Amino acid sequence: MAYQDYTHDMQRCTRCSYCKWIPYRYIKNTDFMEGCPSVARYLWHAYSASGKFNMAYSLLKDRIEIDETFLDVLYHCHMDGSCDVSCKVQQDLEPLQLMQELRIKCVEEGQLLPVHMLVIEGLRKEDNMMQSPKADRGKWAEGLDVKDLARESAEVVYHAGCRYSYDEELQPIARAGMQILRNTGVDIGIMGVDEACCGGRAYELGYAGELTKYAEHQLETLRTAGVKVLVTPCADCYAAFKVLYDKIGKKPEIEIFHITQYIHRLIEEGKISFTKEIPLTVTYHDPCHLGRLGEPWIHWQGKETRAMGPMIIHDPPKKFRRGTNGVYETPREILKAIPGLRLVEMYRIREYAWCCGAGGGVIDAHPDFAVWTGNERLKEARAVGAEAIVSACGWCKRNFLDAAAASGDNMEVYDIIELVQKAL
Amino acid sequence: MKLAEEEYKALEAIVGAEYITREPVILDTYNQVWGNVFFFDEKHSVRPAAVLLPANTAEISEVIKVCNKYGILFKPFSSGFEYLSLSLANTRGILLDLKRMNRILEIDAKNMRAVVEPYVSVYRLQLEAARHGLYTGRIGVGYSAGVIAAECCHHGCQHTMVFTSGYGRNTLGVEWVLPTGEILNMGSGESGGDLFSADGPGFSLRGILRGRTGANGGHGVVTKASVKLYPWYGPPQWEQTRKPGEPPSFGQLERVPDGYRVFVPSFKDLDATLEVSEELCRAEILYAFGIGIIGTAQMQEGNDEEWAMIQQMMQKGNQSFDPASGISVANSVVCVIGGRSAGELEYKEKCLRVITGKYGGSFSEQFNEPGALARAFADIIWSNGVNLRATGDFLPSSSSPDGSPAMLKKLALEEAEVKRRYEESGAFLSMGGGRMVSWRPEEHLSIGAQGISTAQYDPYDPASLAAAREFIDKLFDPRSPFNRYGVPSRGGCLQIEPVTHIHQNWGRLYDNYDVYLRKIKKMLDPNTVADWTAFIPPEYPDYAKDGDYVLPSYGKEEEI
Ligand SMILES: Cc1cc2nc3c(=O)[nH]c(=O)nc-3n(C[C@H](O)[C@H](O)[C@H](O)COP(=O)(O)OP(=O)(O)OC[C@H]3O[C@@H](n4cnc5c(N)ncnc54)[C@H](O)[C@@H]3O)c2cc1C
Repeated sequence: MAYQDYTHDMQRCTRCSYCKWIPYRYIKNTDFMEGCPSVARYLWHAYSASGKFNMAYSLLKDRIEIDETFLDVLYHCHMDGSCDVSCKVQQDLEPLQLMQELRIKCVEEGQLLPVHMLVIEGLRKEDNMMQSPKADRGKWAEGLDVKDLARESAEVVYHAGCRYSYDEELQPIARAGMQILRNTGVDIGIMGVDEACCGGRAYELGYAGELTKYAEHQLETLRTAGVKVLVTPCADCYAAFKVLYDKIGKKPEIEIFHITQYIHRLIEEGKISFTKEIPLTVTYHDPCHLGRLGEPWIHWQGKETRAMGPMIIHDPPKKFRRGTNGVYETPREILKAIPGLRLVEMYRIREYAWCCGAGGGVIDAHPDFAVWTGNERLKEARAVGAEAIVSACGWCKRNFLDAAAASGDNMEVYDIIELVQKAL
Repeated sequence: MKLAEEEYKALEAIVGAEYITREPVILDTYNQVWGNVFFFDEKHSVRPAAVLLPANTAEISEVIKVCNKYGILFKPFSSGFEYLSLSLANTRGILLDLKRMNRILEIDAKNMRAVVEPYVSVYRLQLEAARHGLYTGRIGVGYSAGVIAAECCHHGCQHTMVFTSGYGRNTLGVEWVLPTGEILNMGSGESGGDLFSADGPGFSLRGILRGRTGANGGHGVVTKASVKLYPWYGPPQWEQTRKPGEPPSFGQLERVPDGYRVFVPSFKDLDATLEVSEELCRAEILYAFGIGIIGTAQMQEGNDEEWAMIQQMMQKGNQSFDPASGISVANSVVCVIGGRSAGELEYKEKCLRVITGKYGGSFSEQFNEPGALARAFADIIWSNGVNLRATGDFLPSSSSPDGSPAMLKKLALEEAEVKRRYEESGAFLSMGGGRMVSWRPEEHLSIGAQGISTAQYDPYDPASLAAAREFIDKLFDPRSPFNRYGVPSRGGCLQIEPVTHIHQNWGRLYDNYDVYLRKIKKMLDPNTVADWTAFIPPEYPDYAKDGDYVLPSYGKEEEI
């Protein structure tokens, strides 16, 4: 697909502005009714999904060019897909896909953000998005007695992902995740120094080639390792393996699990049970990539046609991804199973959750905006009486920690793995 | 025709560099709205020279003074969903995006009113007012639309007008920045009091401020308004829920809230439906009322799902698509009654049943099962998400003059018949081939009603677009057999340039209202800086004529 393939969508965006809010049916608190951090922060219509349709249409009509402002607007966006969900309550349009194609076009034309160039340079050299040496990749697992799948074989591969591998504050979480699974007898191993980036975040920046390259690499590595299952604690990696690879025609032949799904399965099988109380009121933050963006890809080929006169339909019928089939209940069920832990819900949850702020390359290029978005979420967590916010993605935890530090908020920030480990 | 550096700098000095832009990338997101293709042949209307995000009344006043000094057109808007809100007469025009003025300043529960800034949406006020046992009427356009836009500046017709009124009659005091930059407090605000009344001791200018269909930005900027609120008999908060795995569009109320009852009777044909509607409205028992759009069905995920459902229903011989069946959507009405006590509700229900019985009304299971009624309630009461998904656009061929029900009926039936012919030809969406209109009666029908026969067409299908224009031209041609009474309007304003021929053709037949409109405009806006594209042009364009009849002229001129 190219951005021009969304001309229909550019034309049909009505400017209803619903992309700016969470779907009205679920608005409960008017302080927390906004859905799109980008337009909430920067106000100009261009920053909304509707604005992106408008920009794309003007580009198509040669009314504007890709200039600094274009890039600034396009990349002050977390690519979190909240707009996509809200839009699709009323419309059959694809705002997120259009934004993705615009980013790809920018990259193809050499219209790049310097910060992102550095990140991608690092990726090309060191196979990670953290601008860190490849040699340090497996360091997080040092001292753990764990199988190295470059040499040994196992049924399950544990893919830690770039963030957990290199972020020193998060490395213990990666270890904990690994230990939890291993202690229940899962035949599991890691790729160690040979683990490479999934390519998902690079794709979101517009580097489509990187996704293809890493997808091919991963498929080959997984095949060679002979694993049957991949488990990752990172929501971004989960979405890449589960959704994006399929989108580009490189669906892995093995099962893909986010760690919460795997833990949930172990709980159901009676292999994990919680014994310790955690007397804490927590709220769960749905990571975009596990929730709405973790919804499986739906392939469709066909044509637009008409019914009842000019009603726009598709032949064969087209199923749009509206976020419904993301992973929402599983992490909540884990939290509910922890004795003493009280789960309170925020106002913006599941398909219409507010983003943590780390997505879409914003944490790299516009850290102040990432922190702003994160702080809005912390305010919401506080408003519902939570003492701690729990997420299921390293990027979320990183950004919430940064946001809390910047604003002096003392809200506790947990990765769900930490709570599971504490409760065992 | 862009702004000179000096002009831009003068504006920038007022709002600050962060809140003004002349970047083409951003400007071109302020001129693309649904409906534009109908008027301008393109999705883009004229590109503004700059867009500003003013923070307060003082800044707006200063900005307007600069506009007067340099002869720059300006237009304010709230959510900007209406095509009128972003149309400009020329590229030397600026838009005032009022997003930063977004506070509910007061909910005065005792006196049943709220004071709001321009970017407060109707749905937000509905949510907030409910906590105080109060309610503001329901605008059809959805949950982004502004209270001030609806009540003070644009159309403002509402599904609840039978109870909550509409068309500006809910406007109390307002703070108004005139096109000269002066700040005027209408009504009680003028004497330094708050804005509790529009009718003195200061000037009562509600008619001038907006008239029937709104000045649409042609009269300056309303920066604060006090609006009436009405009793709310429902809970202070509500929840629309769905089962796990259901898409967001499936969220719904579990049941009609206590304090309300909903009925969806059906009648044998459209004529009978309009007749019973008149009596129902006059009985003074209704809280909300609608014909034709009954909202009882589950909102489907998308067009394909909608179409699959329709096919299935048709195969099963579902009568709701067959106007001859007597229970079709077209011949059904949704009636909401509300009350503080069980006795009040009993009485109202009894009246309703007597009246509907008199006209042979039936209560089909499909439209009256509890889930259907809860959906109908949510749909008609709250300013929810509108849906232009089916074809991409719609035309409310609005016959909305104040007037007698008999006249409304005549117009509605004739319009519906014309529309039906376009539906048969495939140009408009057809729902079973019946005549269908929607009525939104005002104050128990004591004043009038907005009757619309909504045509759904596809602006990107040349044949459908041509049919839409032909349809509207036919309806609004005073020489047509409709013998229309009153100035026709489309969604409030078909007077948008480039189709000011509506004023030209109708003014002389209707007390020269256009001449007075222009005089008022001239008095308030001596330098013609408040954009007039959706109000009244300073001079009529020299459009082609057919005899006396001024022909419409679509398209736009723009240099970027
Ligand atoms: C699908 C659909 C359904 C609709 N249904 C209805 C309906 O049921 N009833 C109805 O009345 N209308 C309806 N409309 C028309 C219109 O969009 C709405 O009336 C709505 O109020 C617009 O709100 P907004 O905040 O988007 O207004 P905007 O588009 O921002 O503004 C509307 C007009 O008011 C002017 N304006 C806005 N704010 C100010 C201000 N503070 N000072 C001065 N002028 C101002 C603007 O210049 C513009 O001309 C419908 C439109 C659509 C697309």
